[in-house]
Amino acid sequence: MNAPPLLELDRVQKFFPISRSVSEYFAGRPGRNIHAVDGVSLTVGSGETLGLIGESGSGKTTLGWLVCRLHSVTGGRIRFGGEDVTELAGPALRAWRRNVQVVFQDPVGSLDPRLRVWQIAGEPLRAQGGLGKSEVRRRVRDLLPSVGLPPDCLDQYAYEFSGGGRQRISLARALSVSPRLVVLDEPTSALDVAVQAQILNRLVELQRARRMAYLLITHNVAAVRYVADRVAVMYLGQLVELGSMRAVLDRPVHPYTKALIAAVPALDVRRRRTRYRIGGDVPTLIDPKPGCRFAARCPFVIDRCRVEDPPLTAYPGDPERLVACHRAEEVRDIAPSELLAPAGAS
Amino acid sequence: MTDPVLTVEGLTVNYSVGAGTFHALQDVSLEIRPGEVVGIVGETGCGKSTLGHAIPRLLPEPPARIESGRIVFRGTDLVTVPRWKLPMVRGTGIAMIFQEPLNSLNPAFRVYDQLAEAVRIRRLRESGRLPMFRPDRDDPFDYSRPPPPPKGGTLANAIVPGGVTAEAVQGRRLGSYRDDVLEYLRLVRINDPETVLGLYPHELSGGMRQRVMIAMALSEKPSLLIADEPTSALDVTIQAQVLTLLKELIDEIHTAVLFISHDLGVIAETVDLLGVMYAGRLVEIGPAAEVFESPRHPYTKALLRATPNRSKAEGALDTIPGAVPNLSRLRPGCRFQPRCVLARPVCANDPHPPLVPIGFGPAPAVHRTACLFPEEVAQLP
Repeated sequence: MNAPPLLELDRVQKFFPISRSVSEYFAGRPGRNIHAVDGVSLTVGSGETLGLIGESGSGKTTLGWLVCRLHSVTGGRIRFGGEDVTELAGPALRAWRRNVQVVFQDPVGSLDPRLRVWQIAGEPLRAQGGLGKSEVRRRVRDLLPSVGLPPDCLDQYAYEFSGGGRQRISLARALSVSPRLVVLDEPTSALDVAVQAQILNRLVELQRARRMAYLLITHNVAAVRYVADRVAVMYLGQLVELGSMRAVLDRPVHPYTKALIAAVPALDVRRRRTRYRIGGDVPTLIDPKPGCRFAARCPFVIDRCRVEDPPLTAYPGDPERLVACHRAEEVRDIAPSELLAPAGAS
Repeated sequence: MTDPVLTVEGLTVNYSVGAGTFHALQDVSLEIRPGEVVGIVGETGCGKSTLGHAIPRLLPEPPARIESGRIVFRGTDLVTVPRWKLPMVRGTGIAMIFQEPLNSLNPAFRVYDQLAEAVRIRRLRESGRLPMFRPDRDDPFDYSRPPPPPKGGTLANAIVPGGVTAEAVQGRRLGSYRDDVLEYLRLVRINDPETVLGLYPHELSGGMRQRVMIAMALSEKPSLLIADEPTSALDVTIQAQVLTLLKELIDEIHTAVLFISHDLGVIAETVDLLGVMYAGRLVEIGPAAEVFESPRHPYTKALLRATPNRSKAEGALDTIPGAVPNLSRLRPGCRFQPRCVLARPVCANDPHPPLVPIGFGPAPAVHRTACLFPEEVAQLP
């Protein structure tokens, strides 16, 4: 390895303290924390797409915000292009932000209803370059066709667009400063399937044309399969599996990845006769106990899983692939479909 | 062949708002028989929730207005039933599960109180202390569905006609509903139901809330259950759990279900009969396996093909050109015509094509499409 990766997270942590009540404070109870992101290490290379999948509460959005420096980390380091950006502040942070832009999930809430399209999409340009109005308008007009919007919609408001159109405005805003990394936080989960396909196609085209990297945060396994080169799977603040898209999605090793893939409804009428076998709810993130966090729901659990944290270790035979499971070797050949039982069996 | 629980005939619903009249539903017809699961799939704004809410007359009227059509529920046309009688239909007749369980549970009441209310209303209705909706012909909710399998627990027991009145009169005090409530919580596979009884909705996870909603809907032993996007707010592993539960319960209790979802995968797993809606019209309906394997409407085909199923190395995803039409400015002709690859002048000029059967088969289950060129749809890639 010679050049450093574009983005490198090194054991990044983010804890959110829970406020104590007055009585708890005087009773001397220690404060509790929500471990939203707990020791995540990963890299994103130049021009590549890392898909980050996980369910709500797994910390994937928090991780995305940490990468954009919208949250500050509790522990760990964030390096961008080899340079430590964990402590950047003030003008240096503002200047750095042109490298990393974000597209948020909610296409309604993330666009100011009182601004026009050119003001929304041009806001990063004004913040970064101090450009004048006519220059911003010109640049936004040039940019709009690349996200699939007509150039003459500059003076419309966001509410005049459908969900897909709003997400395109969001995308134009992110692209306006030609970032090297775009954090896509559930870019399509509010959209219908036909519109989702248009946006996913557009994302792939833009990446080919502009060679930027994507961190695609989503719970949608199909979207990750289409867009991502590598996939990281998150569960309760920790990575459980990381590897190439094909390896992780087609031959998942970690029981949680298997459970996730088995749970995705397929366009297959024969699945009607199957029953999903993973029970249990997602446990709490408040001061989690040691041991594998999936142990309570895992069908392959052994005693060791409940007491000892499985480290994220390289998987034999595939150096690109990391798995955090004590029984990785034993469970690796179990197909996700085996977590579905035929009807009648329980 | 048993009579349908619900027959919707030519239902047309408009919304009159400041900007004009939105034709949310036009000429929708379908039938649901006891024990049958009918799915409705479509994109946002195609009218599927309007349909789900129109059947128990839960639409706000105005702005909504049922222009024409009939909603025949167990022999009675709900469109003509006076409004004050409608609450008698809901609950013990038609129950609903909504998309967002946090918004549909009352945040100020514990799980027990909310479930006990449903149980109490059912008991009072069954014992004649509360007026129950009586259809015109004299068969007040006799639950005359196929005999339920023995494993159904309390649900199945009380479905049996005549087995309810004696014990229903007792237990006017709230505390005595505890056993029933516990039974229903166990039925929806809630571990440790005694604890859950005393919790408020905000203390439950999304999956648990949806289970409580399902328990509440089923505790009134409805003839028809309308599930409007029951799993869309849930995570994928929790969604799989809730779907498994729904599938098991549907098998156990033989209620008729109208299952509304935008997720083709969820629909494929759940329903017997599938209707596809586009811009307020039912464009295709038929047995789920046939609709999925040989769709005969170009919209269904395009929708199936737009679902991401490959990696970017294998080529771009198929999309549907154009956008859903504005429901207040509809032009005559097929509503999908502006976006359709098979469109011809006749599609734009003639009135919207009606649902016509393809091939032969027993009338209610036959595959029907509202396209003039079903043979050519089959030839599309």
